[in-house]
Amino acid sequence: MEKATDDQRPKAFINKIKISNGNALMNLKTILSIIVGCALMIFMAAFNSTQAFASKLADLKAAKTIEEQVQKPLVQEPLLCLDCHRMPNINTNEGVIASQAFCYDCHKKEDIIKRNGVTAASLQITMDTFNDNQPDHRFIACINCHTDIARSPHKTQTGVTCTKCHTQHSEGPANDPHLRVSCQACHFQSKFVKLDPKDFKVKLAHNDYDGVPIILSKHILSDVEDEETCRKCHFKNNPVGAPAAVLPSKSILCMMCHNSPLAVGHPVFGLAGLIFMVGIFFMIAFWFKGSVKGEEKSLHRKISLSSESIWNTIFSKQVFSLIKIFILDIVFQRRILKESVSRWSMHSLIFTAILLRFGLSLFTAIGFYFNPEGNMLTALIDKNHWFTAFANDILGLFILLGIIWAIVKRFVIKPDHVVSEYQDNITLILIGTLVLLGFFLEGARILVTGIPFDMAVYSFVGYLVSKVFSIFSIDWGQVYPFMWYAHGVVAAVFIAWLPFGKMRHMFNTPLTYFIEAVDGVKNEKRV
Amino acid sequence: METRINSPQTFQRFHILHRILHMVIIFNFTFLAISGFLLHFSGFGWARFLIALMGGAGAAGWLHRFCAVFLYFGILVHVFWLIYYKMVLKQNFCGPDSILPGKKDVKDLFQNLRYVFNKGTPPLFDRFSYLQKLDYWGELLGMQSMGITGLILCFPEFFAGIIPGFFINIAGYFHFYEAVLAVMYIGVVHMSDTHLAPDVFPMEKAIFTGKIEKQRFMEDHPGEWKRQQMINDQKLL
Repeated sequence: MEKATDDQRPKAFINKIKISNGNALMNLKTILSIIVGCALMIFMAAFNSTQAFASKLADLKAAKTIEEQVQKPLVQEPLLCLDCHRMPNINTNEGVIASQAFCYDCHKKEDIIKRNGVTAASLQITMDTFNDNQPDHRFIACINCHTDIARSPHKTQTGVTCTKCHTQHSEGPANDPHLRVSCQACHFQSKFVKLDPKDFKVKLAHNDYDGVPIILSKHILSDVEDEETCRKCHFKNNPVGAPAAVLPSKSILCMMCHNSPLAVGHPVFGLAGLIFMVGIFFMIAFWFKGSVKGEEKSLHRKISLSSESIWNTIFSKQVFSLIKIFILDIVFQRRILKESVSRWSMHSLIFTAILLRFGLSLFTAIGFYFNPEGNMLTALIDKNHWFTAFANDILGLFILLGIIWAIVKRFVIKPDHVVSEYQDNITLILIGTLVLLGFFLEGARILVTGIPFDMAVYSFVGYLVSKVFSIFSIDWGQVYPFMWYAHGVVAAVFIAWLPFGKMRHMFNTPLTYFIEAVDGVKNEKRV
Repeated sequence: METRINSPQTFQRFHILHRILHMVIIFNFTFLAISGFLLHFSGFGWARFLIALMGGAGAAGWLHRFCAVFLYFGILVHVFWLIYYKMVLKQNFCGPDSILPGKKDVKDLFQNLRYVFNKGTPPLFDRFSYLQKLDYWGELLGMQSMGITGLILCFPEFFAGIIPGFFINIAGYFHFYEAVLAVMYIGVVHMSDTHLAPDVFPMEKAIFTGKIEKQRFMEDHPGEWKRQQMINDQKLL
């Protein structure tokens, strides 16, 4: 039986093949292709799944390390670092809370105390206290700001990094960049500050002025809108070298020489600005008193005709000759140079220096809007940076030299062509006083803040003044505010006087040059 | 060479202020569109590259808000001009010179359609044709709604105190889709109906120079031309 079945089987198989003779080869091909196709699909699917899981090599590596880390606790060892420090992702809220919980675990206890000899200060902080005092930082991990605290020894080197997220101040909010003052010195509600001799920054003191440690762990923020906050440094005989009074912010009028906020500032500046605008208005109204292209009466027609001609000039080839006039005759003062070299030198010392300072401050003000964290802008708003200090001092010195030259010419040499009017004298006195007061102010600032020699030497005039001032044993911290106001008031008077007095030539002369170039020399608009 | 008239007689069409305002709109609208779309499509590589050229997302946002304020300042100047026009120059808002839509515009539309299908004469447009009026009003009203939704998006904390929170999301959608609409309208309709007209083809210069040639004045704005001739005749008489 067994044999018979053995013989029958192959026969049946062969019969089967014979029956489907025509399709046998086809079937083999199909089967083969299905197998190859399946293999390809499996291969590609496997390949594809790895792609979707981790598209980058870095991710793959990270996944590998995570796998290794997960496996580590399986190894029988007593307490690895990562058993507690799970390295939560502090970019997510869950991670932040997990990370905070680890800090609060110890810091919520009452007996967390920092000892300083005999006295001690509490370092206790709970989640509720922190969230009440700093609601905006609720979802920020402790180690996000205290970056180097999570290590041994449990002591920070860098302090708290606010500028990782927040930009630094320009002139506006704190009336000054206050670059030498750390953020917490103002923003923390503690009355005690100190001058760190290492990096020369004003910082929050850990002890009060009697040497008793104070509690800072509550993270209570101060109301920086309140001027009382400023008075923790700005009082008489303060230890950090701040002027004795809280001074107002600079105004946009100061833009002529200093980098300044785009704000009105003190009412005196507001008044000066108002007078300036009214003066400009009357000046332009005076221009339109004459006839424009034959039109005598209608102001509407005059404005419309003159703006029409300005428009046609701008969108014509004439604009290039005007640009040329602007560069040669206005910036480089070619026409004065043609008249007399000494006059040109005198005038350029004053004019070009003011123009450069204006350009620098305008660049700083605009640049700070776009890139407040750039190194260049930080240097430009920093009065003590070598470039800014040197540039401002040398340009100020140029203005002063030009003024002295003009005064000598007018009152000592008295050449025939110089006719000294009272308006010229007022202008010279105003600019001269302004620059002199500026240098006095700088000297007093260097003296009061006690800037070290290697930093202060770049503002060479101011440093000399400070050395001279140091001979007199006056509390310059108290004199400084008065000098500041004097400088500010003279500046305000100067700006207010611009459209009325001699300085009107700043607007009139370029305009005359332009109109002459467009219409020929004779023109009714000429003042 | 064709015979070229050396200095064709030209007429004042646009006042200097309107030319300046049109330039303000061109400048701000372009930058608003560029910065806005780049910010909206910030997920794409090309947008990121272009935004990096503009100085990052912060700078693009700043530019967007700056241009928005500048543009709205232009609208305010326009409104002040209208007050000045009425109060000081004692002119009328209504009448054939007006940009306010009227019955004639509907008539003109149908007559123009008849003309296009060769069933009548072309309409006699006045100072502004119905398409020009549509351009003006579309832009003016569109800017109001863009302004309102933009304000909501710019000060969400303030507006969330007045209106429900989801309005801010709705404002976001409105702001984006209306921006698409505005850019499409300006890019397709305004560009083609002004600059692609065969008479002016490469570019319509009237809004930039403020002047229009006598020939085109007579052809494109026959209504106004006729009235001006009548006024001149009366003056001569």
